[in-house]
Amino acid sequence: MEPTTLMGPSNPLGYPAPYWFLVLFKVLGFTLHMIPMNLWYAGIIVAMVLSWRGDAHARRVSHRLMKPMPVIIALGVNFGIVPLLFLQVAYYKVFYPATILMAWPWLAIIVLLTVAYYGVYVYVAGLRQGDEGITAWRRAVGWLTAVLFLVMGFLFSNAFSLMTRVEAWPKLWQTTSVAGAPLGIALNVDDPALWPRWLMMFGLALTTTGAYIAVDAGLLARGESDPYRRAAMRIALKVYAVGLIWFAAFGSWYVFGTWPAELREMMFSEPWVVLTGLTAIAPGLPGLLILMGRRKVTPQWAALVGGAQFLVIALNAVSRQVVQNVELRPYLDVTAERVNIQWSPLILFLLLFVAGLGVVAWMLRKMVSRGEPVVSGG
Amino acid sequence: MHYPWWYVPFLTSPMLIAVISVLHVIVSHYAVGGGLFLAVETRYAYRTGNSAYLSYLREHAWFFILVTVVYGAITGVGIWWTIGLASPLATEMLIHTFVFGWAMEYVFFVLEIASAFIFYYYWGRLEPKTHQVIGWIYAASAWMSLVLITGITAFMLNPGAWPEHLTFWVGFFNPQFIPQVLARTGGAFLLASLYVYLHAAFKAKDQELRDLIGLRSARPALWGAILVIVGGLGWYLALPESARAALEAASVLNVLMVLIFVITVAVFVMLYLGPYRHPGWLSPGFAILFFAFGVAAITTGEYIREAVRKPYIIYNVVLGHQVLVDEVPRLRQSGFLEGGTWTRAFVAHHYPQVMNGKEIDESRLLQLPEADQRKLGEVLFQYHCNDCHAQTRGFSAVGQLMRGWTPEMVRTVVEQPEKVHFFMPPWSGTPEEAELLTKYLLRIAEPAPGGMRYGEQRINRESSRLDAQRRSNDHSRRVDRVARR
Repeated sequence: MEPTTLMGPSNPLGYPAPYWFLVLFKVLGFTLHMIPMNLWYAGIIVAMVLSWRGDAHARRVSHRLMKPMPVIIALGVNFGIVPLLFLQVAYYKVFYPATILMAWPWLAIIVLLTVAYYGVYVYVAGLRQGDEGITAWRRAVGWLTAVLFLVMGFLFSNAFSLMTRVEAWPKLWQTTSVAGAPLGIALNVDDPALWPRWLMMFGLALTTTGAYIAVDAGLLARGESDPYRRAAMRIALKVYAVGLIWFAAFGSWYVFGTWPAELREMMFSEPWVVLTGLTAIAPGLPGLLILMGRRKVTPQWAALVGGAQFLVIALNAVSRQVVQNVELRPYLDVTAERVNIQWSPLILFLLLFVAGLGVVAWMLRKMVSRGEPVVSGG
Repeated sequence: MHYPWWYVPFLTSPMLIAVISVLHVIVSHYAVGGGLFLAVETRYAYRTGNSAYLSYLREHAWFFILVTVVYGAITGVGIWWTIGLASPLATEMLIHTFVFGWAMEYVFFVLEIASAFIFYYYWGRLEPKTHQVIGWIYAASAWMSLVLITGITAFMLNPGAWPEHLTFWVGFFNPQFIPQVLARTGGAFLLASLYVYLHAAFKAKDQELRDLIGLRSARPALWGAILVIVGGLGWYLALPESARAALEAASVLNVLMVLIFVITVAVFVMLYLGPYRHPGWLSPGFAILFFAFGVAAITTGEYIREAVRKPYIIYNVVLGHQVLVDEVPRLRQSGFLEGGTWTRAFVAHHYPQVMNGKEIDESRLLQLPEADQRKLGEVLFQYHCNDCHAQTRGFSAVGQLMRGWTPEMVRTVVEQPEKVHFFMPPWSGTPEEAELLTKYLLRIAEPAPGGMRYGEQRINRESSRLDAQRRSNDHSRRVDRVARR
């Protein structure tokens, strides 16, 4: 079966904004989403390991990593709305079929997320009582949530790799459908790119967790002692180093072991080679900054680490977008849709976006001027 | 049709939307009303210097975050997930029309999340004035998200002049917009008070404090009930004719309409006699009963709101079987199997003998062996009927609905479903395809239940006696004739 025959007709309304606008917000939104997402993806496991095997400083790092996790998850889930929204506008022809083919696993994310999110609250509630509050069952809940987030990551990797692997649809469809209607039980597990892609993302998440620990130690943990902050920087460096090695190993497998020759050729020739190179080497920068600043922890240095990691994530998001478009090229030209710009809603959205940022900034200013929050209840 | 159809045995996939929506709305209304409650009451508590009440409000804010930020937010995402899976064409149309509406809602979501956490976690650390402002930022953002999503959901029931203009604002400010905003705002006030009662009945131990909570929350709840009724009336008046007819024709909707009216009145009376006149009645049992009534009213209302749209998902734009209204004439001409991306691919792969180049030759469909014709009938069933009907068992299963039907009866419904029941989508295929579907349906239709008597046995006995008598008379006449010869 010719996979292109499974590509539905174009929407008669056309894009409500130029393609570049849609993809800009998709990539920007994904970058913003990746920061908190990385923290729950790898951060919870790191926190659990530190709490289980670490010394007093490591347990304190674990505590500080988990305490804001309910807020991080809430923000991350919300930040995920924008990229998914613009993805559904521009990539609807591939997004809906791919997720319908794996409907049950895709829908299971909602259930898993609910359980994991409440699990985080259960764990964090124990932190109120210090180390003693982390009883065996709370620890078990913490590990369970860490595993659930990994499973969710795996399911997301499935959906987004299946979205571009249109050639796999016919077989998956035929083997998991009743009279042409999918049962929604397919997974993209026979895609050689799935595993390295999923694992590579975990490596990136580890680096973000390492960078976050460094930012927390330098910028947010003003009430903590100097020895703690130096210990936290050492832990940040270790976590970052593990993440960097992991990212390099699985990233290499992904790029050199699974990319089609055409894609690799394009990404390694002008002008894309610059982007590929920057995406590959950028994670070294925050690692270097953590290494250099580990002895004298200053807020400025920590902010620099945070900024550098933001750059790493943004480069990754841009590269992913370029690769996604190249992978889809044989089946779909996302730039060929007619455009019917909704000017006034677009402008109103931008105005509200800016105003919203202003209000959030005002609230954060008020918050920061009052020091650390009261943790009662969680 | 543009997309693969997700087959969920027994339940049908769109019913998952209903399930998740119901689970969501009982919290999403509280997320709006509860925010207003916290903003207004925190201000009151600061103004009156009532530290006991402030302390209770802080406890309530924690409960509020646990319920709304986790469960409410994730089930909200869950609706989005499910509509994309079970109703992809309508979702595609909605997102292409209202992407900036959703994007604006996202801005308010972020404000909600940030303000809710700061409001709770910095309680007692912020200046009272700043604390109150942040509470109001949450309340305003939550209400704005209600307004934005209501514009989109109301559009689905009655898009007004949108099909002629195709512009955002004409679609957003549709005839159902104001009535539904009123009803939902009222529902938010009402449900929030019921949540407060439920929480306070268990958590506020001091009788004086409980009386204060009961009294303070009664007034918004009463206003909420009035808004629900006013909005509900407006909703009814702004219904398209088909939706109003569906409300009157479908027995389940009749019953539910009466039910929602009775429950709303009961809640109103209970509010007046209970927390408003006798705040001391606020016991856990009373609060649980109250809450159950409120949840029943909200969920019933949601179900009715969804059900009356039939046969459309978006009125006059997208039909229930995932077909654009404008596509129906073409599909009747060239075929439903041919018009559907995935159905055409199915036929081309499994039955290349009916293909003429890249197109399906409809005239060859009825030349296939019977078993293959029924198989294609099943494909048609999945893509044309399974939105609303399970196969042999489950939600509105056709195997059960067509018990004992004759081929003519089945064929009539297949060829003209919209004439038999106006709330069914029109047949969107060729006569050949209607024949395929008929053959499949006859295969899965159960026989009429046995043992049912309508007096036929007596009628049959009587007619047998008359037949026997007639035969006997004929025989006698023949014998006489022979004898005369």
